[in-house]
Amino acid sequence: MPVININRNDFCRLIGHEIPMKTIEERIPMLGVGWEGTEGEEFSIEVFPNRPDMLSVEGLARAFSSFMNIERGLREYKAEPAEEFLIVVQPKVMNVRPFIVSCVVKNVDLSDDLIRSVIQMQEKLHVTHCRKRKKAAIGIYDLEKISFPLTYTTEKRTFKYVPLEEKQEMSLQEILEKLPKGKDYAWILEGMNEYPILLDSRGKTLSFIPILNADENKIDNKTKNLFIEVTGTDEKTVTEVLNIIISTFGDRGAKMHKVKIKYPDTGIIYTPNTSPKMMSLEPKYVNKILGLNLRNYEIIEYLQRMGHDAVEINKENIEVTIPIYRTDIMHAMDIVEDVAIAFGYENFEAVIPNISTIGEENPLEVFASRLRSLMVGHELQEVFTFILTNKKNLFNKMNVKETEIAETANPKTEEYNVVRNWLLPSLIEILERNQHHEYPQNIFEVGDVVILNPYTDTGTETKKRLALAMCHSKTNFAEIKSIVESMMKNLGINNYKIEEAEHKSFVAGRCAKIGIDSIELGVFGEINPVVLENWKLEMPVSTAEIDIDLLQKLI
Amino acid sequence: MHKYPFINIMSIMSSDKIIQQLHENEKRVLKSFKSKKVLSADELSKITKLSKEAAEKAAEWGKQKNLISIKENVSEFLELTIEGHEYSKTGLPEKRLISVVSKGMDEIETLKNKIPQFSIGLVWINKNGWAEVKDGKILITKEGMESLSRKLDEEELLAKVSKNTKMSRDFKRDIVDKLIRRGLIRIRTEVNREYALTASGKKIESQIKLGKEIGQITVDVLKKGDWKKYGLRAYNISTPAAKIHPSKKHFMTQVIEYIRNVWTEMGFKEMSGPLLEVSFWNFDALYQPQDHPARDLADTFYMKIPSEGQLPEDEITQAVKATHENGWTCNSLGWQYSWNPNFAKKSVMRTHTTTLSVRTLAQLRKDVDKGALPAKYFSVGRVFRNEVLDWKHLAEFYQTDGIVVGEDVNFRHFLAYLKRYFAKLGFEKARFRPAYFPYTEMSTEIEVFHPEQKSWIELGGAGMFRPEVVKPLLGKDIPVLAWGPGLERLVMINYDIKNIRELYWNDLKQLREAKIWLG
Repeated sequence: MPVININRNDFCRLIGHEIPMKTIEERIPMLGVGWEGTEGEEFSIEVFPNRPDMLSVEGLARAFSSFMNIERGLREYKAEPAEEFLIVVQPKVMNVRPFIVSCVVKNVDLSDDLIRSVIQMQEKLHVTHCRKRKKAAIGIYDLEKISFPLTYTTEKRTFKYVPLEEKQEMSLQEILEKLPKGKDYAWILEGMNEYPILLDSRGKTLSFIPILNADENKIDNKTKNLFIEVTGTDEKTVTEVLNIIISTFGDRGAKMHKVKIKYPDTGIIYTPNTSPKMMSLEPKYVNKILGLNLRNYEIIEYLQRMGHDAVEINKENIEVTIPIYRTDIMHAMDIVEDVAIAFGYENFEAVIPNISTIGEENPLEVFASRLRSLMVGHELQEVFTFILTNKKNLFNKMNVKETEIAETANPKTEEYNVVRNWLLPSLIEILERNQHHEYPQNIFEVGDVVILNPYTDTGTETKKRLALAMCHSKTNFAEIKSIVESMMKNLGINNYKIEEAEHKSFVAGRCAKIGIDSIELGVFGEINPVVLENWKLEMPVSTAEIDIDLLQKLI
Repeated sequence: MHKYPFINIMSIMSSDKIIQQLHENEKRVLKSFKSKKVLSADELSKITKLSKEAAEKAAEWGKQKNLISIKENVSEFLELTIEGHEYSKTGLPEKRLISVVSKGMDEIETLKNKIPQFSIGLVWINKNGWAEVKDGKILITKEGMESLSRKLDEEELLAKVSKNTKMSRDFKRDIVDKLIRRGLIRIRTEVNREYALTASGKKIESQIKLGKEIGQITVDVLKKGDWKKYGLRAYNISTPAAKIHPSKKHFMTQVIEYIRNVWTEMGFKEMSGPLLEVSFWNFDALYQPQDHPARDLADTFYMKIPSEGQLPEDEITQAVKATHENGWTCNSLGWQYSWNPNFAKKSVMRTHTTTLSVRTLAQLRKDVDKGALPAKYFSVGRVFRNEVLDWKHLAEFYQTDGIVVGEDVNFRHFLAYLKRYFAKLGFEKARFRPAYFPYTEMSTEIEVFHPEQKSWIELGGAGMFRPEVVKPLLGKDIPVLAWGPGLERLVMINYDIKNIRELYWNDLKQLREAKIWLG
């Protein structure tokens, strides 16, 4: 999640109050922002994905000021009507990146603080809410260097202009292949024949969207008036992002003007749309969910502490006006949460409800636990291993043929790229790793394996197994057999059958399967020296692996 | 250890009394210094005809009675750690990496998957100046090429230590230190002792007669009644006893069983379900939009086999789809995008056990109006994240999920259940901060106060399921309290483990010596 850095002095200037670092550190987490730490007058915070409006110092100061009861209630942002700023959207861009919203921002004092904040916000918004510029991307330009009307269109990859911070013209193709920004974001344009471009009335390129602006119209510290556009593939997101940006400039005292956008089919719209969202809230619902008994005026005050406005329509209804920069409110529950945050999570009195229910463990887990106790009674130490492993461990090293098993598609390491379908290899691996420790090493595990099964909804079955391994100089078939038989007898099973079995992991003639009637429960015996050699083990091992899902069902 | 100042008691005891308390082996030891004043353990064993261990033990008892003095010479030897042991067999990761790179395979993306311990190798070839990384490729430097043809000091040292159990520290100091820092070797100390008689030892030595006396009460002693004739020797009860290590359940199991108990005590019913899940249950049913970063390849194990699973009954699938797209009948705006059933079918290794909670809600659907509520459920289960393993990260770990479903449950109840759970784990103080998860609202981050470390520890997320999660599954918008804190940090705190990988190392010495979980 994104971390942003804030200068405390700038933060306090925006709030209009001196707030000590200690207070900020104590209170910010209770507003729903992660505290990362301080360095001198700077502090860092982690902004959660539901509140992209706090990705700038302006947004954070705005929220904090209300929360601390310094300036509560709704902040409104107005954009002056204007006809002179027109963007014409060409039909061919509609298949590629169909949405554009825009705003003209005048009278901006581009101080270092603001430039820093805007760049940081733009960057973090791009990564998070804009999904790495795919869903939305922001462009900011010097208004004075642009001639209206603009055209939002597409151009071929041979189209050329001088990109930001470059001296010479480059083709779109070259930009994608050579410049860092081009390489980073080329994936967004994959499969397109033509790329989105924003041109001004003189045919000059403003931007290769969503990759890189032109050098000519970049902002500098003399810039007073800005042109801002947000393009993207999702109408909701571009609108939200534009609203977050203009709130930021609005808090710095800039004046907003509307931009007229002419779409090929749906006609003309004006952006930004600065009318706030309304939502109605039942106080009864708030109190039910939170377990509180708040009066309507209290709920209204708490909502104002979160930057909303609210009025009581009648006893049963409060009408909430939600600021334009809040993108996360989609259900009344989101407003209830705001009330809870303003009330303070630390102020809730915890209470166990008067609900009577009967506790119940999963019978298979209970059985597994009993088997573990039984194995410990046989002086075996339990081990606890990973479920993910690799084919080499499961098949090659165990001297058995590869079968189809559950396999990951995108592992970060080849060591862990399949899901184990039997348990023994995990135990042998533990023995291999512990050769420098004292013997005997008699170990067991009750663990899960995953078996493919096309008849279930996941295409697999998660099964519990018990595996034992006796490893010391005198272990043999007789030893493992007596443990397996002891286990069966302790479970009250006397009608089990032991038959000779063939299994390449075991010594031929020293391997048996155990079962009841026609149901096979597992296999045991002496491990084949071929396997021991594969694992570089120089100590004999006898082992067993038992299906305990089945075993439990038979009891 | 000892509350009694033995030496003082001994000094006021009569010689007779002291001799009466001597074990036969002690007497033999005290009688051994006829020809030589100072003896090694081996010499002592030879003269007394006792095993070395028994002779040393007897001498130790003598020391506690101030009859024998022991001088300890400590020597230090090097030994391999588990990781060192592995590299002594397979070679150092940096050497393996550079050798593969020298054969022309230089793409980081390919190498990452091909070479075990790739990232460790990369760090060291960088540090050693063997290679540079440029444009996702590894370029070997001159030093790198040169390193291929020679045996490194590090390799030499590893080889030496693996062959020689008495390898001293006399090797290039910086190399020894470096490998210790890398955690490949560690220092093992060995103590050699020299024994001599003290002044009081000399004084009583001549009065000691070696003769029959009864220590161990045997069947024979009892049958013949010898103990009446000879009497039983008094033991020095402060003598250290042999260390034994019983077999145990693994400490993770002990913790898991304890936690399962805690929940059942509180009236919760256990849930279980598949490790390999359909994305639908892992993400979509939890109202995670399909372009949510948590669904990225980077964090989640997607499956090649089986690549997809089945969506649940149409009624639920359609409700979830509509909720994502437009809020359905949840009184929500929804995420407002077009929901793709093919994304929801993709198989994953479950990234949280909250899958079990939502599957349970879907199962409760048919009984909602038949008195099934209120209901409380829990699970303790393994979850998976696509991570490269290091001291802070595992690809597999544990989570305990819980839900309380009931028309009248609220946020204050939620806080109370979690507080009670953590109190049962020994954390009396728990606090909650607002947080964010796509499927809960309120969302909180839980912190507990660690009384010894005097600090707050983050233990995971919790909240109340959003109506957009509950209604499509349960068929009704009913409050659901939900949580899913992790287990590993609790275990690490309790067992003072710093490196998270140690939890699943299964070092048998560590397991044998670990204390049992006391909650």
